Amino acid sequence: MTHRRWFTPWLLAGPAILWLAVFNLWPAVNTVILSFTNAKPIGGGRFTGLENYGRLLDDAQLADALLNSIVFMLVCLPLLTVLPLLLALLVQRRIPGITFFRTAFYTPVIASAVVVALIWGWVLDDRGLVNGLLGQSGLSRSPVPFLTDRWLLLFSAIALTVWKGLGYYMVIYLSALANVPRELHEAAAVDGAGPLSRFRHVTLPGVRPTMVLISALISVSSLRVFSELYVLSNGLGGPGGRDMSVVMLIQMYSRGFNGHLGYASALSLLLFVVTLGPMLFLLRLNRKAA
Amino acid sequence: MRRIWAALTTTALTAAALTGCGLGAGDSKNSDSVASAAATGEVKGKVSIQTWALKPKFTDYMQGVIDGFKKKYPGVEVDWLDQPGEGYSDKVLSQAASGTLPDVVNLPPDFAFPLAKKDVLLDVAKADPKLADEYVAGGVEAYRYNGYQGTFGYPWYLNTDVDYWNSDLLGKDGLDPKKPPTSLDELIAQARVMKEKSGGQDYLMSRKPGLGDLYDIGVKIMADDGKSFTFNTPEAAALLDRYRDAFKEGLMPNGVLTDTYAGNSKLFSAGTVAWTTGGGNYITSLATDNPTLAPKVVASPAMGTPPLYVQGLSIPKSTKNPAAAVALARWVTSPENQAAFAHLTSVFPSTKASANDPFFSRSDGTNAGNAKVIAFDSLAKAKLIQPVEVDDAMGTVVKQQFALAISGRSSSKQALDTAVAQCDKLLKG
Repeated sequence: MTHRRWFTPWLLAGPAILWLAVFNLWPAVNTVILSFTNAKPIGGGRFTGLENYGRLLDDAQLADALLNSIVFMLVCLPLLTVLPLLLALLVQRRIPGITFFRTAFYTPVIASAVVVALIWGWVLDDRGLVNGLLGQSGLSRSPVPFLTDRWLLLFSAIALTVWKGLGYYMVIYLSALANVPRELHEAAAVDGAGPLSRFRHVTLPGVRPTMVLISALISVSSLRVFSELYVLSNGLGGPGGRDMSVVMLIQMYSRGFNGHLGYASALSLLLFVVTLGPMLFLLRLNRKAA
Repeated sequence: MRRIWAALTTTALTAAALTGCGLGAGDSKNSDSVASAAATGEVKGKVSIQTWALKPKFTDYMQGVIDGFKKKYPGVEVDWLDQPGEGYSDKVLSQAASGTLPDVVNLPPDFAFPLAKKDVLLDVAKADPKLADEYVAGGVEAYRYNGYQGTFGYPWYLNTDVDYWNSDLLGKDGLDPKKPPTSLDELIAQARVMKEKSGGQDYLMSRKPGLGDLYDIGVKIMADDGKSFTFNTPEAAALLDRYRDAFKEGLMPNGVLTDTYAGNSKLFSAGTVAWTTGGGNYITSLATDNPTLAPKVVASPAMGTPPLYVQGLSIPKSTKNPAAAVALARWVTSPENQAAFAHLTSVFPSTKASANDPFFSRSDGTNAGNAKVIAFDSLAKAKLIQPVEVDDAMGTVVKQQFALAISGRSSSKQALDTAVAQCDKLLKG
């Protein structure tokens, strides 16, 4: 006969609960607490009420950063949801040498974001590969300011993110495509459905949950973009700091001996709320479709 | 809804309670008692020292200094920690926040300032009244801060900037390497010649101005009380306008706006830019990156006021062994040990007794030797240009706004006003 003590489940879950409390829950609660203070890294701080939240409304750089993050998300979301699916459909076929292409598309994923951004920085520089080609082909007489123009810098970072993310989402789609029953495709073909019709009525419904998951992942990671913009702009966020993302602002305010931890915490909470928006929208969309 | 309000109220009250109770307040040890213990105590026991990026190049030197200290004070034990160059400020910050700073710490004045402000550092002048007599005034001044009583570090080694010119590039583009520019007017004029002769392939200018350039033309960076910034003057706007015009004329690469990977010194070492600035030992380090270029580099005194760079040793008030800490800081920064260090690399001692060492004022005839002598001569008029109050975030704001003005997307006046307003906000925040 087995004896069960009341604390056995707690004992088993204990380490995980402790881990979550120390490394997830407490930092989150602490961020909320700090956002009501003027805390510095050394010497603590004092309670300042809603001052940091009032300052958010008065921060011109924050308006730019929010716009950048939202544009980043709006462009990345459709591109990184659709292109990897098409890529997955291409490399899904079992033909000789396809493994090479799968590996090639996945390679950028395993490279560090900072290293990739540095390489793109060289490629897009005034004397980089792209400007060299544009100059030699006569398409441009002077270097295109990919890294110093407000919108060109943002779209360069978007291009980098899409290029780097394609392989990752392609692999997720590959596993989803493998779960779409082959018989459905065969039955549709027997009923006279063409490739496009089969894609629309069999493939798409089959990968819909994966699509929603990928969209959610992309919207969160796009709103939290940092490395790509930071490295391409050498940490400055372009002239006037107009290409900063919200995470770059948080980093700028929180670093160093004089880090403004209170304001950086308020920014973090704002970003959290903004991130919730697209997540809730996608959830709702998925429920409706279901 | 009621639940949400309840949660918000609880959070706010918790925040008020925690912060109101002085969460994470600094060390309240009395400076006088620590200083007196340092001045009268016996030098014995364990003492730790932290240096910044001296290993592995200067391991033998530093170990020799420590061995000498142990010989002078038998029975004393020294624990030497050397931190890597990258992320040093973060390391010091975490040590200070957790109260684990070593007994003697290498801190430049801008790192020491926020710690002094929080009452973490010992006023070493109290423990060592002879300090001002033995070290050069500029070095000691660097560790005295507006509105705070005391000297918060022993000056260690000094350096300044020298102008470096690529003589090959200057000659190729019709300029005389023996007559490099000595003012902004000459710099712009020669940059124009270089652009025309090279068809826009070579640049003479590849850096945007900073606060140092404003200081050079007499613009006051901060108010005397250190409570606000004052660099948004018409003179500062006129200077930015000149750089904006030079940028528009194509005398500088686009990269100056963001200091991208091909920043000034990298472009110089790649041989596409003919001018950069660097410390007295720049040619020696360039010889590793570009051995072909290094012998062709010519040094000249920095345009305007040379900046003074100071490294020093500070002692936290929380030290358990103040007497040994002060003795060790004095020993490492003594004239003999500093001279030995300066002979190994082109830095300069901060002790008055070292000023007459002929090693610094005599060149061995090489371009690196000439640069060392120019740097040594420049030290006499070098000044601490950037106020220690300018932190990372303020530095970023200044760069962003200056870049905006130079790109022509904002007027210089508007950019300066925005920079001052944002820096003031950060200063108060």
